[in-house]
Amino acid sequence: MLEISIFTILTLFMLGGSIAMIINRQTLFSAFGFLVAMIGLAGMFALLDSRFLALAQIMVSVGAVVVLSMLTILTINAKRENLPYEPNKYKWIAVSSLLVLPIAILIYQSTTALYQSFSTMEPVSSKVVGKLLFSQWVLPFEIVSILLLTAMVGAIVIARKDKDNTEKEKEQL
Amino acid sequence: MTPELFFLLASVLFSIGLVGLVSRRNLFVLYMSIELMLSSVNLLLATFSKVLGDASGSVIALLMIAVIAAEAALFLAMIVHIYRKNRTVDSDTFNKLREEVENA
Amino acid sequence: MLSLIVILPFFSALLMAIVYLGNTKEKRYFFYTLIGVGTPAVSTILSFMVGNTLLDGSATIHHTLFQWISVGDFNIEVAFMADRLSVVMISFITFIGTLIHIYAAGYIKEDESYGKFFSYFNLFMGSMLLLVLADNPIMMFVGWELVGLSSYLLIGFYHQESSNITAANKAFILNRVGDFGFIMAISILFISLEGTGFTFDSIQENIGMIDPDRLSLIGILLFVGAMGKSAQIPLYVWLPDAMAGPTPVSALIHAATMVTAGVYMVARYSFLYELIPDVGIFIATIGAASALFAAVIASYQSDIKKILAYSTMSQLGYMFIAVGLGAYSSGIFHVFTHAFFKALLFMGAGAVIIALHHEQNIFKMGGLKKELKLVYITMFIATLAISGIPPFAGFFSKDAILVTAFASEHYIIWGVGSLTAMLTAFYMFRLFFTVFHAEPTETKKVHAVPNSMTTPLVVLAFGSATAGFLGVNEAYGGSSWFNTFLALPDAPLHLSHAKEYMLGGLNVLLGLLGMWLAYQLFAKDMREVQEDKIYKKVIINKFYIDEIYTFLIVKPLLFLSNFIAKVMDPKIFDGLINLNVWTYTKSAVLFAKLQNGKVRYYALYILVGVSAMSYYMLFKLGVVS
Repeated sequence: MLEISIFTILTLFMLGGSIAMIINRQTLFSAFGFLVAMIGLAGMFALLDSRFLALAQIMVSVGAVVVLSMLTILTINAKRENLPYEPNKYKWIAVSSLLVLPIAILIYQSTTALYQSFSTMEPVSSKVVGKLLFSQWVLPFEIVSILLLTAMVGAIVIARKDKDNTEKEKEQL
Repeated sequence: MTPELFFLLASVLFSIGLVGLVSRRNLFVLYMSIELMLSSVNLLLATFSKVLGDASGSVIALLMIAVIAAEAALFLAMIVHIYRKNRTVDSDTFNKLREEVENA
Repeated sequence: MLSLIVILPFFSALLMAIVYLGNTKEKRYFFYTLIGVGTPAVSTILSFMVGNTLLDGSATIHHTLFQWISVGDFNIEVAFMADRLSVVMISFITFIGTLIHIYAAGYIKEDESYGKFFSYFNLFMGSMLLLVLADNPIMMFVGWELVGLSSYLLIGFYHQESSNITAANKAFILNRVGDFGFIMAISILFISLEGTGFTFDSIQENIGMIDPDRLSLIGILLFVGAMGKSAQIPLYVWLPDAMAGPTPVSALIHAATMVTAGVYMVARYSFLYELIPDVGIFIATIGAASALFAAVIASYQSDIKKILAYSTMSQLGYMFIAVGLGAYSSGIFHVFTHAFFKALLFMGAGAVIIALHHEQNIFKMGGLKKELKLVYITMFIATLAISGIPPFAGFFSKDAILVTAFASEHYIIWGVGSLTAMLTAFYMFRLFFTVFHAEPTETKKVHAVPNSMTTPLVVLAFGSATAGFLGVNEAYGGSSWFNTFLALPDAPLHLSHAKEYMLGGLNVLLGLLGMWLAYQLFAKDMREVQEDKIYKKVIINKFYIDEIYTFLIVKPLLFLSNFIAKVMDPKIFDGLINLNVWTYTKSAVLFAKLQNGKVRYYALYILVGVSAMSYYMLFKLGVVS
């Protein structure tokens, strides 16, 4: 009983947040919707006995990703006129949701055909994760760390101000 | 608590993300829809982990989150770069790769 | 030896053509005359030799050169057959042909295309001999076509004048119209015979297996070919225009030989025509109509060669009356005698034309009997012959035809024939008196006529006088040698001798009447043709037939060609293709608009594809229901 009600609340969070995200005109409000959705997702992870995952989700996905995107949005600080003008937004959304329907049904049908019930499992704590991470999944772990390093370097390279750009910005301002 | 509900939720989230990807012009919304799609896959992984009783699913989801973070950094850096050049975040202005048609 | 008769003229034509093309300017007078006149002479001697063997009583000679086509049942050999009919034909064709070649050597002497002329002339001889000596209908058709070709080449010999070329075209095209019927006939004949062989002998054996309706069709279609070649109504309009060619050409082709090919063809197919007498009556009717028609027009013409052309058409009508009513031998007999006096008349006319510096209007001639004595005498004999005055050749042959008509109770045809006989005498003597007797309106200087031209005239005059004696029938004390020799399936006649004498006398009377009328009207003063009355105007303009043909046939065809070339081809066909191109271009532009460079749209296209696939997987494949 409790589980179901929590599940319902969390579902509302997620669905509401994501729909708000794709509909809103102002970028920051979309980001807020995204935030809500991610928090809901974290709750879902906890409901699925993956406690460590829930924590990681909050820390990374909410704390880093969403914050970073909000930071970028605010840095760019686009005026209302510079935001894209989307006249047929709802038409597009309607058409694409119609097209997306079979895909959703396909995913749902194919997964439910496979598994019908949960099995009992001890909740996944950091101990379990740590054990797996350094024995069975050590190679992906290492590779992901290299990936993070590369991403860091790449982000800095892409986003740095080179001399021409600085001149142009100074002119525009 | 049957897995079906979770599966349903995951597919709905995925489709919402897909709709947002196709319909919006704002680059940020584009980015966030992609994140949403990835997160729905994470949810699916976690559900499978519980269904099969194996913790590996969670581990994979954890690694996915790390990848998501990396991708976020790069994506946002690119948006910043693009904004510096073109002063807009409208994806429809970037159409230089189109077919030039002479009106015959 | 039989094949040499045909091959030699072809070979000499080829030889002279090669030499001529080597150097068109040089007039190798001696060479061309030797080859050009010598070859027909050799053919003549060979023909007489072949005729001799047949006279001795041997059967038909066959000689095969080689197999030409062999496709299933259709086996055609290049082969020659000399039976009695063909032997008679080649004898006079080569003999008169040689005489005309000699005449031509004098006539064409001044022309610079001397070699070309003899090349064409020999080509014609070869073709005509091929036609007559053919063993099967296909070879005959090859000869038929080649004769038409030679006629075209020779009519248009003076090609500097465009009207001559038009006349040549007219001849060839009308011939072609007739050939259409001929080809249809041969094709139907071949199909009906169902593989039993296609030579004249085998057709004659198997003719019974074809049912009479189809036979009638074949007979009519064959006659359509003859209408074109032998200038009967309605395909005759080329013959007067063909007089644009040199006079030897008119003499040989359009008087003595080519135009008689139609009659020969009917005689050759006598085994077919005797089974379908109704078609024969049709042929005879056309012949009678053409005879009368031509005679009426000839009475008002003023060009000497055109009068003779219409006269030829008229006499051909007589021949077709004969073969139509089943008297094949009489028809061929008239071909034989007609060749003599018609060739003579044309050559004499040519002599007169040369003598008066290419003047062809008879009303500008006159009183030539003193200056051109030889021509005068020979043409007098020929005119008597054609008018049917005994004992000259024309009487016996024409009489035989009219007797046949009377005896088979086709009195209308007999009446028309007799009336035409009178008109023949009238217009021929009109020509004769006007040219030689009447007082000329202006004095003209008379050119001398070379011996090469006058000697053949004498020989032919002798022939015109005596050739008739070969075919005298029993009523007049002869033995009908000609008819018995030919051994064609003539329809039997039963007429008492008294009636025959009466008919013969009537013929002579009509001839003399015509002659007397002409004498009264034309022998003293020059009496030109005046277009005062309406009927005169119509007749002088040849009943406006040419104009009617132009209006009904030529103009619509030209209009249709123009229409197709100017309107249909560019606008409709090109338009269709342009429409095709336009569609492609427009749709290409449309498709190009899909690639607008916007990533969102590309994502949409991917979505569409994936959606379709999942739809398919869900509901059609039944991944899960």
